[in-house]
Amino acid sequence: MPVTTAVESTEQLVRRLAELLPLQGPITAFAFLNPLQGMEDRPFIEALRQVGEVFGCHPFLPEASYRDKMARGRITVDGLNEILAEESGFDGDYTIGGLVRHASLRQSMLQHSINPGTEHELRWMIAETDAIQRFRIETSHGVRESMIGSTRQWVSNEFPVSASASKLNSTDELMDVVQNAIPRTLLGGSGPLDESVWETVSLALLWRLLRTRIQRTANGHQGRKPQVRHRDRLLAISSEDSDQLVHEVLIRFCSVFLDQGYAQWKLPQRGTGFFQAFLSLFSSGGFFSKRWLRPVAAEVQRIHEAGMTALESLEESLTLLGIAPHEKENFVRGSLLALRGWAGMIWQTEERPDRVYIPSRHGTLIEFLAIRLILERYALKWLSRETLGYTGPLDRLREFMATQHSENGAVVTVEQRAFPLLQLAQLHGWTPRTIADLSDAQWQELVHAVEIFSSFERRRVFHLAFERKLMKHALDSVAIRASQPLISPKVSQLQVITCIDAREESFRRHIEEVAPDVETYANAGFFGVPMYYRGAGEAHYTALCPVVVQPKYWMVEDVVYALTDSGRQRARARQLLGTATHRFNTGTRGSLMGAVLTALLGPLFTVPLVGRILFPRLTAKMHRTARGFVAPPQITRLRLERPEGTPAGPDNDGIGFMLSEMVNMSERGLRDIGLTSGFAPLVIILGHGSDCLNNPHESAYHCGACSGSRGGANARAMAAMLNDPRVRRQLLARGLEVPEETRFLGGLHNTATEVVKFFDLELLPASHMRQLHLAVDIFGRVAERNAHERCRRFETAPLDFSPAEALQHVDDRTEDLAQTRPEYGNSTNAVCFVGRRSRVRGLYLDRRSFMMSYDASQDTETSIILARILAAVIPVCEGINMLYTLSAIDTRGWGCGTKLPHNITSLLGVMDGAASDLRTGLPWQGVDIHEPVRLLFIIESTPEAMLRIMDQDPTVGRICRNEWAQLAVLDPNTSRIQRFVKGEFVDYQPSTTEIATAESSLEWYRGWRDNMPFALIQGKNGI
Amino acid sequence: MLLLFAGIMVVVSPAALLAVLGLATLSRTPLSERSVSRYAQASSISGLIAALCILTYMLTMDIRNVPLDFGDWVSLNNVAAESAHAPPHVEMQPPGALESTDDAHTGQFHFLLKFVFDRLSIPFAIMSFVLCGVIGAFAFRYLHLEEGYHRFFLYYAIFQLGMIISSLAGSIETLFMGWELVGLSSALLVAFFHDRPAPVQNGLRVWSVYRVADAAFLIAALTLHHLSGSGDFETLMGKGDWPAGHATITENQALLVGSLLLFAAAGKSALVPFSGWLPRAMEGPTPSSAVFYGALSVHLGAFLLLRVSPVLELSPLLCGMVVALGLITMVFAAMAARVQADVKSALSYASLIQVSIIVVEIGLGLRYIPLIHIIGHACLRTLQLVRAPSLLKDYSNLENALGDHLPDSGSVWDRRMSPSMRARLYRFAWERGYLDSMLDDFIVRPFINFFKWSDRMEQRWTMFLAGTKGADVKLKKENEEA
Repeated sequence: MPVTTAVESTEQLVRRLAELLPLQGPITAFAFLNPLQGMEDRPFIEALRQVGEVFGCHPFLPEASYRDKMARGRITVDGLNEILAEESGFDGDYTIGGLVRHASLRQSMLQHSINPGTEHELRWMIAETDAIQRFRIETSHGVRESMIGSTRQWVSNEFPVSASASKLNSTDELMDVVQNAIPRTLLGGSGPLDESVWETVSLALLWRLLRTRIQRTANGHQGRKPQVRHRDRLLAISSEDSDQLVHEVLIRFCSVFLDQGYAQWKLPQRGTGFFQAFLSLFSSGGFFSKRWLRPVAAEVQRIHEAGMTALESLEESLTLLGIAPHEKENFVRGSLLALRGWAGMIWQTEERPDRVYIPSRHGTLIEFLAIRLILERYALKWLSRETLGYTGPLDRLREFMATQHSENGAVVTVEQRAFPLLQLAQLHGWTPRTIADLSDAQWQELVHAVEIFSSFERRRVFHLAFERKLMKHALDSVAIRASQPLISPKVSQLQVITCIDAREESFRRHIEEVAPDVETYANAGFFGVPMYYRGAGEAHYTALCPVVVQPKYWMVEDVVYALTDSGRQRARARQLLGTATHRFNTGTRGSLMGAVLTALLGPLFTVPLVGRILFPRLTAKMHRTARGFVAPPQITRLRLERPEGTPAGPDNDGIGFMLSEMVNMSERGLRDIGLTSGFAPLVIILGHGSDCLNNPHESAYHCGACSGSRGGANARAMAAMLNDPRVRRQLLARGLEVPEETRFLGGLHNTATEVVKFFDLELLPASHMRQLHLAVDIFGRVAERNAHERCRRFETAPLDFSPAEALQHVDDRTEDLAQTRPEYGNSTNAVCFVGRRSRVRGLYLDRRSFMMSYDASQDTETSIILARILAAVIPVCEGINMLYTLSAIDTRGWGCGTKLPHNITSLLGVMDGAASDLRTGLPWQGVDIHEPVRLLFIIESTPEAMLRIMDQDPTVGRICRNEWAQLAVLDPNTSRIQRFVKGEFVDYQPSTTEIATAESSLEWYRGWRDNMPFALIQGKNGI
Repeated sequence: MLLLFAGIMVVVSPAALLAVLGLATLSRTPLSERSVSRYAQASSISGLIAALCILTYMLTMDIRNVPLDFGDWVSLNNVAAESAHAPPHVEMQPPGALESTDDAHTGQFHFLLKFVFDRLSIPFAIMSFVLCGVIGAFAFRYLHLEEGYHRFFLYYAIFQLGMIISSLAGSIETLFMGWELVGLSSALLVAFFHDRPAPVQNGLRVWSVYRVADAAFLIAALTLHHLSGSGDFETLMGKGDWPAGHATITENQALLVGSLLLFAAAGKSALVPFSGWLPRAMEGPTPSSAVFYGALSVHLGAFLLLRVSPVLELSPLLCGMVVALGLITMVFAAMAARVQADVKSALSYASLIQVSIIVVEIGLGLRYIPLIHIIGHACLRTLQLVRAPSLLKDYSNLENALGDHLPDSGSVWDRRMSPSMRARLYRFAWERGYLDSMLDDFIVRPFINFFKWSDRMEQRWTMFLAGTKGADVKLKKENEEA
């Protein structure tokens, strides 16, 4: 959001603010993008500082959860101190109010829970617990003694004798307070008193003193939130939510407007756009609709007759609501974000019509906003009359409401402010006397220091300390590994290229453990082949490339000519079955046909019901067998090539790539990952995808670089191009020699079942069968091991599983109708390594690292290769990471909450329960093991190259400079690491030179469910 | 003896599950997910086996009615007004041997706990066990690690017990008990995610509708007691085994009781004008919204009508009302179902269509067909609701099979109707027949206004009695509050 210019029109304003909306389009093509992408133009922390107000979401985990990490050693006191010491303008040794070192004040505020919570919580705590009668448990014995001793002395010796003679420089008022706090019995009697009575007296005195003093201290830090929207103020004073009224109508309308074909009756006049369709729907009938909604009919009539456009109506509503020009931005933003899931979906169908069947035309978001404000006006009118008795014009409503008393306002009470100080006094041993003796300046300094270190600041420090510890561990581990010799087989039998996905980290590690003479590489999972793809037996094209890219190529899979007849028969059979199924489904939802079907056939459905739920494995097997009869024939070809000079398109000659394009893609595919020599006889390129049942979020488990689809076709296309002799000849002309005996083979790694499937096997020459058998054998063994490693994260999988049992278990999960966690996707991702595998091979990274292959020695002087790699890798990985991280921080705010009540709507997304905002982001069941940290990029390159790329590529520059990801470079020749801190690279000093070692991955992780430290896996013969 | 044991097992196994889960919650002994699932499974399976045993026994011995009488739970003599717990004498009488033990017209209050196994209750109970059991098995994995796991299974236990008691009830008060348990657990399950406002509000709405229906039920039960001196269905319907009973009351009495029961059934089965709650009930976790409202409890109203079918038979007018209500609901639901763009609302209206057809069938005097229809519909709908999250995949599979986007099923609607008519009908369906707002307007609002008026009157009266002015009263009130 750049600064508003004076001439910005409402239309421009809406379009600009639309960047804040969720970026998720149809849920079937899951968009892994940073939910805060619209705020990436400012520093990460600054953006988070605003999210509470703008989105109403949490910027960090709750404090308690960080303290829990502290208890488990994931955050250390030293770590906190390190972060505190780096704060600009912070002097830890300065003594606040002559009482306490600033650093130690902050430490105690971090380590101990001193926050009282809401006003009501505090009231309860004071009334029902001994919070102001007994010292905190953490209060040390010494503090306790001295506190009681000093109070006793103060009260019994000096104080009652003569107030005027006291050395206190406090005011009379303060003296009254002290006097009031002391029980009469104490002042009168002189007998020895119980220790515990003195404890109570000390605390009571403190509490009184603190409250009195804080009453007279202005609160400079917790200003009231600006309530630009009428709804916010109305909610605060009457507890009635106008949004609830508006949303009930709006959600229902949006769902039928955006519907991609689920409802049998279509919205009349849908083609005229959101605004007109709404007007015509509301112009007829509605006599019995909700009371507040009834006058809308007349309003709609008026707007219709006046021939107003949506924009005009929007402007009019703003005027009627009394929105001043300077409030416009906040008001429009608040109104857009109030129902942001739906608004975002409207924006997506408008901006990316290629991704949906029924798109929305340009300007629909404005129409949405216009309708929203019309409804809002009437909801406000109704509620303000019903609850406040206000009947005046709406533009004066806010003034009227400002005069009304608010019961649950955001004003912080004296008690809420004094309570933390009471806790700190107990932790630091500030006696009542000390507090009374503070000068006004000292006192204010103390209060300021406490209040400025707000909940946000505390959580920020916690979060940074947590990130830092993990970052150090990662950098140390990489540095140690990088100081050791490179590991790569002298002669590779097999080379495997996978996706950069964090899930493939363990897959590759196990391949290397099982077969030390195999080399692995990684590339972004669309392998540089962006295309719309339609498989055999599929009806539509799917975009297989990162979500931000709009492909320019089309690709089709055909059944081979010899099997055309069988293919056609099967297609016809599928069509018949499909029609029957469709008729049946619609029939059961209808009336008379439904009655016949349910009464006659209904009881038969206990069989699939019971089978699916109680015997999922058997049912799935039967299902697969049955489907096998009608599935398209197994042998297919990609329609790879289109004639030179024809434009690309979805039909006939437009399908495929021209030879020159193939050569370019092939060259890039190899050069990017640094595979330009030492080719093995067989090179396997593996895309990845996943399997699961009954899961609207299925797409989130597929390849993020393929817009949430399976990346097999891309791998297959890449392999097919590289096998083309013409391509090879032209590559040779460009100085890239692929030996004749090298064959490429495309495949698909199923990250849920661990099955690897190959394409075009029948084209593989007999000479390569030996390598193929080797590969099949390796992948078979790796499947068990990888499944076993994954199973340690599933609570329902016993830790003492054998690898074979683990493989069966992960397979079962994909066929279980009730399984909400078929796999964990990229959960726990924390690192992204860009560089040669040989430098980190053997490092156990716990499936927490994206891995991109890159060889700096093959790059040009100006790092052209790195620049183009990072142009995709940095935004893609950062997007995935931020989506996981934010979804884990506030699962309901950024994520889509728990899956259980999800309700698919309009064939586009999910709502919670019967009706709600469209839920975007990841579900709780997908992020419950994720540790929210910003991604740490470790790039094998030089600071100069990185700085140059940041300058050239605005996206990369923005992400790195604004610290949306952490960045470090690993020197290509030494183990020197430099971190990118505040705009420049500084040397990183490893904090340790030791790292745990294990003989195999299994040996390292066995028996553990939680995240593992990184370790060196040293096979029996050093890999 | 075997029969007695099996009969007790059918009732006791769901009750035992509730006891175990309830006591564990009360005593704050957290059970592991695994043991909760084991207990629930054991309960469903033992109950199901016992019910199947009874079925087999009855089929082989050709017995059509087996009552299981626990005696009066509470019995109040109006002379002495003393309460006495009847000794838990459980007797299982062979059919025909039952003496008329009712204390007709003795003016006693009693709560007769009685279950009956006949051709209506056994299939219904077996269906409840099967569906609850399957959904239980589904929920063990579906709710894994969820915060409210134990709470869900506690409600589940209440629901299952309520369903079994309702299906087997041999007296109207027993049926009422089961009916209440089902209502309570349903409302709590709708409000399962109580940290969001919408589920709680919708849960409250469901609860309110249920309470209104319950009130009608209760009045019907009282009237029945008044008329026949007993809530025992046997007294009411005569000795004939279901569905061959003959009610012993007059036509007008039947009309009165029947209308009240129809009202109660309308609330429970979401018939017009109470239909609004059904789609709103889709707030809970999928398994609960699946079986509990979509498939099981929504049929309870129809079940009630089946149970008292001999009463219906007495009054043609009553039958007409039943048919009319069913038809109206069917037409309404068929329209509303066609405009829903989300899968759960669409399925809930689809359920409603079938339920209303079942009601029509009952009104037309059919007995076995509605029973079969209920069972078939419950099974099919459960499967559809449980698979609702697969919708997108199913659609894409279908489109792939057909090779194109799915055909527009609304072609007749598009072609034959004038645009203005279409717009009107669409609005009507889109607003869900305005049923919710009409209920709010014509029932809730007058109700609230009446109580507000009463409150004002009360204040005035107090003022008058106290001889003070309004301000003082207000002040006093505030003081009291403080």
